[in-house]
This record gives sequence, C-alpha cells and structure tokens, in this order.
Amino acid sequence: MIALPRYTELVKNLTIKEFKLRYRNSFLGFVWSLLNPLAMMAILTLVFSTLLRAGIENFPVFLLPALLVWRFFSIGTSMALWSIIGNASLVTKVYFPRWLLVLSSNLANLVGSTLEFLALLPLLLALGMKVSWLVMLLPVVLAIEFVLIVGASLSLGALNVYYRDVNQVWDIALQAGFFLCPIIYSASLIPSRYAFLYSLNPITRIIESVRRIFYHGALPTAWDLLIPLLSGLILLAIGYAVFLKLEPRFAEEI
Amino acid sequence: MEVVHVDDLWKKFKIPHERRTTILENIAGALQMLAGKTFTYEELWALKEVSFSVAKGESLGVIGENGSGKSTLLKILAKILRPDKGKVDTNGRIAPILELGVGFHPDLTAKENILVYGTIMGLKNSELKKRMDSILQFAGLERFRDAKLKNLSSGMQMRLGFSVAIETDPDIFLIDEALAVGDFEFQKKCLSKFKEFKNEGKTIILVSHALNLVKEFCEKTLLLSRGEVISFGETEAVVNGYLKRVQAA
Repeated sequence: MIALPRYTELVKNLTIKEFKLRYRNSFLGFVWSLLNPLAMMAILTLVFSTLLRAGIENFPVFLLPALLVWRFFSIGTSMALWSIIGNASLVTKVYFPRWLLVLSSNLANLVGSTLEFLALLPLLLALGMKVSWLVMLLPVVLAIEFVLIVGASLSLGALNVYYRDVNQVWDIALQAGFFLCPIIYSASLIPSRYAFLYSLNPITRIIESVRRIFYHGALPTAWDLLIPLLSGLILLAIGYAVFLKLEPRFAEEI
Repeated sequence: MEVVHVDDLWKKFKIPHERRTTILENIAGALQMLAGKTFTYEELWALKEVSFSVAKGESLGVIGENGSGKSTLLKILAKILRPDKGKVDTNGRIAPILELGVGFHPDLTAKENILVYGTIMGLKNSELKKRMDSILQFAGLERFRDAKLKNLSSGMQMRLGFSVAIETDPDIFLIDEALAVGDFEFQKKCLSKFKEFKNEGKTIILVSHALNLVKEFCEKTLLLSRGEVISFGETEAVVNGYLKRVQAA
C-alpha cells in the first residue's frame, strides 16, 4: 500500500468510473441516493412514532443521521464485494495492484455518502437538529468509518472471487446488522448484562457518535471514536493479508 | 541486452472432477472427505520447463497447436497469471493485447475507457488528454469518442485497444492473435507501425497461427506443444520444423 502515490491518477480515474457507472442509464441518477433514505425515514417514522408510539422525541432527526452512516457502511461493503469480479475484463487482461479496485469502489461510495450528508443537512436543520460546532467532527467520524469499510471490503472482495456465496452471507449479515445496531432504537434500551458486548460493535459506536452530534448536540466519547478506529485498523490488517494471499489466482478463478 | 528472460517456467492448472465454488459445497466436500471419500482433480501442466530469452529490439513469434500453452505464457509475461515454478524477468513497460481487447468496460465511452486504460499503463491524465485525438484517429473512431463501448463493433473495439496500447508507448508488446479481427487496411496500418517500433528498439512477442505473419515479422520463434518447448531459434527453421510435424501427424 506504500506505492499509493504512484497510482493516484489511476485511483482517481477508477473512482470516477465507479461513480459514473453507479448512476449511468438511470433517469434520476444521484437523486435516488436521496430519495431512498428519505423514503425509509418517512416509513420508519410512520411505524415507530405514529403507529407504535415508541416515544422518541423528534424521531426523524434521531433516525436520519444513523441511517446515513449505516448506508455508508452497508452500500460501501456490498458494492466493494463485487469490485474484483465486476472488473473481470481488467483483471484478466492487464496487470496493476488489484486492491486499487476495492479502494476505488470504496472511494466512489465515500463521495456518494458525503453528498448525501451535504444534501440532507438542510433538511436536518429544518427538522430541528442541534446546531453547533460539533458538526465539524462529522468528517472525523466518517474517516474512521471509512477505515472500517476498506478493511471489511478487502476481505469480502477477495473472498467473493473464490466463493460466490460470500455475497449471500454478507446480505444476511447486513440485514442482521440493521437491527443489531441502534438505528431505529436507542442504545440505552439494551439490558445492562448485554451492554458491554453490544458496545463493542464498531458500527454501534459510529452511530452513537453521529447521534450525539446531530441529536443530542454532545461530544462523542473517546471510546465512541477509539473502538471503531482500533477495529478498523485490525480489519484493515486482516483484509490486506487475506487479499495478498488470494490475489495471485484471481485471474484463474474469476 | 535481454528484455525478457524466462528460466525453467512451470504453470499448473487444477481441473477438479467435482467443482466446488460455494461455501456450502466446500463444507459438504470437507465432511465427505472426513468420511473417507477422496476427491480427485486432474493436474494440467500448461507449461513445463519453458526457458527462452528475447533481446531488446527483437521480435519473437510463439506458435503451436491449440492448447499448447501460448496464451498462458503470454499471460504470465503480462503478470496476469503467476507461475508455479521458475523465474520470469522482464525489463520495461509491457502492453498486453490479449484475445479481443485490452480490458475495456462496455458501459463506458471510448474516451472514458482510454483514460482508465492509459493510467493503468502509467500515463498521466494530462498526457492522455493530449494524445486523445491521435489515439482516436489511429483507430479511425473520432466520431465515436462519446459512444459507449458496447455500441462499437468487435473490430472497432479491437482497433481502439491497439491504438491505446500503441500510444502509451510501451517497451514490450504482447500480442495474442488480436490482429486477426481487424480489417485488411487496419492490419496493414498496424504492421507498418510495429515495424517502426522494431526499428526504435522495442520488443514484440507475437502469438499467432498466421505463419506467414510470423515469418515476415519475427527473427526468432518458439514452438510449443502440450506446454513444452519443442524448438526455439531462427524463425525459418522453427516454422519449417512445425510444418513437418503437422504433416507427419
């Protein structure tokens, strides 16, 4: 990964390519990336605030930032899962470090998620989010989450070349993750005997961080940032090792 | 000076009798193995004990029947496949033009594909933008600059592949039968371009069944059969030997 500066232009072009392909042939293009979380917000607010009366004050502002960081992770990893196979024509025809494909897919998703946040910020303001300088911390939280995403994506992208059902397994894992992370409920509801285990989930900590920033107007705790950062670095090390081990036979297995 | 040096190269492909690609199939397979069932696969040595070298400015033809290992050899030189044993040294930037195209994406336009491929070959975006017109012009595709690649004919795609590869100014060309797709005029244009490159001291390795082309173009030729080197040396002698083998068979 040390050689990255040599490949900046290639990574840039691959990222632009990924981003373009994501919205090519679609009539509304990027607008879908805003409509999707907005529709989810409307449905979940209807179910939890109106029908179930879960009693969470200002549910849309409670939900939306959590939903956006969840989308960042889930879309990022499930797109990167296909980053090697989806580029079979390149992988079987010309040599370059293959992990650049994973990174570019993740970067395209980073651009997408950043735009989602920027575009929906005015809505959050209108809905009554807590306005403070703490919003400046959002890039830090997203950067930490990005490390997690790249780490997971390296393993997923490489393994999916050899075992195509990694995709199915990850699909289930993400569905489980949506309910195991405090997206539609508050982490304070977790019984105390599970609380420690629950709080080790790095995505839980990321969600808690953005919820503190946008909903409570409070500073994320040190652990809220350290746990995801450490898990991210561990995942990155594992992912890179797995990737290097599997990379030599990509062109044969693809 | 040698630009390509291959020493005792071996490449094996495993062909399982029962192919397992999903996790479930692998788990089932592992359980059956515990129960004493053995799984068999054939080992296919695509290349055995291959050694040769190519000097700077030299052209090498690689000939042999289907399945003799020619394409595998080229893919190893291009670093797309890794050998199981042996050493491959290459000196300089390599442009592989393997079976139809260089790795274009069907949903990107000609221009977008040129940018991606060009930066893979190590060029800067600024250089590529300068060379964009001449790339499209050589391919005869100026009008199709913004057309998606899937809307171009296979001949047009191949022409674009050649043009980009040529324009990225590599030291070593690896060409796998690709010329056969182009029309006569484009073939002629490419051949004269490659002759120019030869004079500039660039190296060309050409896999082809067109023996006339090999004779015209390559000083040396490598004859492969079932992954082994049958002969390597002056083109005239190797090609004649090949023809004799074919007639004797």
